[in-house]
Amino acid sequence: MIQVEIINGPITPFPSDNLHQDDGAELVFNGRVRDTEHGENIIALEYEQYEGMAETELKKLAEETVQKYPVHDLFCRHRVGKVNVGEASLHVAIWTKHRKEGLEGMSWFISELKKRIPIWKWAIMEDGTRIPSECTHR
Amino acid sequence: MITVNVKCFSQVMYALDTDMLLLELELGTTTDTLEKIIRDRADGKLDGVSLRTAVNQKYIPDVVELKDGDEVAFIPPVQGG
Repeated sequence: MIQVEIINGPITPFPSDNLHQDDGAELVFNGRVRDTEHGENIIALEYEQYEGMAETELKKLAEETVQKYPVHDLFCRHRVGKVNVGEASLHVAIWTKHRKEGLEGMSWFISELKKRIPIWKWAIMEDGTRIPSECTHR
Repeated sequence: MITVNVKCFSQVMYALDTDMLLLELELGTTTDTLEKIIRDRADGKLDGVSLRTAVNQKYIPDVVELKDGDEVAFIPPVQGG
């Protein structure tokens, strides 16, 4: 099962449960906003999306991931709008039979997300100015 | 003539100071010609910035001829996560 969402507001994590009796691995990743951007203090990041295309591409990517890796369930929530330092901007949960394919699938999914999903960050500096983030970590 | 809607994000928005342009173009205009127009309007601010092209919300790998009513975006390096 795949569930992807782009939301404007705090992320509610996908619930953990004891019902995946064929899955030995449940992996959860939370990407959070750091307090600096290229050495400068920031108070938040503002995430901008290409509305429509971002969610379509995210769904396509999730489908590719479950085809490429033996992932049973992939759930993803990505925030847009203002995300304060320390808060989660990305939440991913993956269920697999074994740990190895779960870790590999999670790593590939996030790496590809950072290459192709049309979402961008603006850094909100301490003085309130808003500038495009230069952060393009892979 | 055709009219296309250019959506601007991140560095492109910053460089052009707008999130959208409605442009009238010659019939037969291609995506690479439109990209040059956008880069020229940015007056150097997009130099060195790699841009991927999306037409009607889909990445396109090759140059295509634009049609009346197309929505085009020149997508700077993405930063999700």
